[in-house]
Amino acid sequence: MFFAGLDIGSTITKVVIRSPEGIRAAVIKPTAAEHRRLAHKVMQQALDRAGLCFDAVQYIVATGYGRINVPFADVQVTEITCHMRGIASLFPQVRTIIDIGGQDSKGIKVKDGKLAHFVMNDKCAAGTGRFLEIMARALGVELERIGPLSLQSRRPAEVSSICTVFAEQEALLRLSEGAGIEDILAGIHRAAAHRICSMVERIHVDREVALTGGGAKNAGLRKAVEDRLGFPVCLAPEPLLTGALGAALIAEERSARAGSRDMRERQRRRRLEAVTFFD
Amino acid sequence: MTTASEPKGLARASKVYRNRAYRAREWKAEGKKVMGYFCCYPPLELMTALDMLPFRILGDMDESISVGDGYLPTVMCIFYRSCFDLGMKGRYDFLDGFIGAHACDGAERTALIWTHYIKSPCNFHLDIPHTSHVAARDFFKEQLIHLKETLESFAGSTIGEARLRDAIALHNRQRGLVRDLYELRKPDPPLLTGSEALQVLIATMCLPVQEGSTLLEEVIAEVKTRRETPEKKIGRLLIWGSLIDNTALTGLMEESGLHIVVEDTAIGVRPFRHDIEQTQDPLDGLARHYLEEVKCPRTFVETGASYGEDLENRFHYLREFATHWKVNGVYANIIRNCDIHGYEVPAVRDYLEGLGLPVLIIEQDYSTAALEPLRTRFQAFAEAIG
Repeated sequence: MFFAGLDIGSTITKVVIRSPEGIRAAVIKPTAAEHRRLAHKVMQQALDRAGLCFDAVQYIVATGYGRINVPFADVQVTEITCHMRGIASLFPQVRTIIDIGGQDSKGIKVKDGKLAHFVMNDKCAAGTGRFLEIMARALGVELERIGPLSLQSRRPAEVSSICTVFAEQEALLRLSEGAGIEDILAGIHRAAAHRICSMVERIHVDREVALTGGGAKNAGLRKAVEDRLGFPVCLAPEPLLTGALGAALIAEERSARAGSRDMRERQRRRRLEAVTFFD
Repeated sequence: MTTASEPKGLARASKVYRNRAYRAREWKAEGKKVMGYFCCYPPLELMTALDMLPFRILGDMDESISVGDGYLPTVMCIFYRSCFDLGMKGRYDFLDGFIGAHACDGAERTALIWTHYIKSPCNFHLDIPHTSHVAARDFFKEQLIHLKETLESFAGSTIGEARLRDAIALHNRQRGLVRDLYELRKPDPPLLTGSEALQVLIATMCLPVQEGSTLLEEVIAEVKTRRETPEKKIGRLLIWGSLIDNTALTGLMEESGLHIVVEDTAIGVRPFRHDIEQTQDPLDGLARHYLEEVKCPRTFVETGASYGEDLENRFHYLREFATHWKVNGVYANIIRNCDIHGYEVPAVRDYLEGLGLPVLIIEQDYSTAALEPLRTRFQAFAEAIG
């Protein structure tokens, strides 16, 4: 039996196809401007990779920013719940999850495998992937390199602003003052970590802590967060997939709860096709 | 005046909710007076006794604040900024009088600024103590006497004791009908949605008391005999905190898998929970009811011997609501910069979580333009309850 989770993020789309034995296939693709039409294509890629046909998947859960654009999903669940479930399955000892996404960041508290409290920043680019993208572009460094480069810093520069626009100005000012790129990058990562951790501290940071989302793949950001917290964080083998993984786990659960007639009816109606309400 | 072609029940509530001044304008055309007021504290009975229509001044989440920002600082609570903005834009030009109140700092300051810039033939500022000691109650009664005298002078007649008792009885009857309406939200699923209840309550705050009571009777009869069974949702919420006065917000919550079954807000149970006692001097009953029985954190409740006793003194009535309405989650609604409710959040959360209820706290911007990001939060909360 197979179950699928689709996490349509603002920047990246992720699919996980899983059976009770484990993950069968996973796909990670950029969410382009045309993302609203992309969900079925990414799903097809995942099916191809898994060597499965669409009908072999019993239940599909969609999550993330674009979750309403998945017409073939059986149900939509928020990314808060999905990240929580995904991390809880990988690290049962985790009580706080810090999710750093493309355009938002979240703090999620887990208690006995259930969602306790959460806090979100989806109003402002500071503390999100977008902040780091803007900085990378302003400094002329490829996004993939800013993390490793920042780790070479001996003296992180002060980048104190909360606002991305002002932080960009400050970073360029430091550059003109002769600060090294690696020091500025370290300062930027510390500013982002400060912003994110301040937000999560509102719901109290309890160990163990897991870092997830695209931001977790940035080694410089990870170090800055760990420095701020004062202890190491748990990291999934692929931090981008925890939402889709959680969605696939919820798909399995929901499928078990649904009656067999309801399941047959769903599968009969389900079509792997593009969303139509934009036409 | 309702005619045969006028809608009834929920349709009428919706009509009044969407065009709140229409009955007030008709009332004026009949040569009668409309008195605007802030919050739940100015006694409506005094206005009704003089055949005046008490009209609750509210804001508009659909209207972007523009003029108001030129007069009020950004630290001012957005709800009262919106009320003032609407006033400056002429939306309340039908009011014959304005009764401001020191319900909270936001209400107080906005009320005083209102009277400076928006001229009415009759103005009164109701000073309301923040405690309910005997001395505070006596002081408040004095303020009510001043209010009564101001209204009588404006009306050109006096309120006789019999007339005041009648008005108290009429408003008590309306309170009883609102409580009956709330009974209909106890079943699972509730017979009436939160959005529908909100429209009804706001409508009663824009109508003469007897018309409001008739509306409530119609709605209760209509809802009891409804044939369609509403869809059952996971969450049964108590809303606590700053008022909600727009169904866009309640609708968003209901679309996210949440029933709204009871509201401890200023457009919720607070004005209707308790009936005024008919005391020997009716003003004593009024003073006691409005100062002590309209439960809002703006009124200080005596501290207990311990934090736990404190919480119990302040919030015990929430346990009653949660139990009888089978609440399984609480949404603490905080309009940005609402100190009254914002400062209370840690204590009320401790109390409610102590009862085993999950609490979602959102500081919101009192604007329909800023609602959509809240959808994920409400959905996640529903998923946590489920």
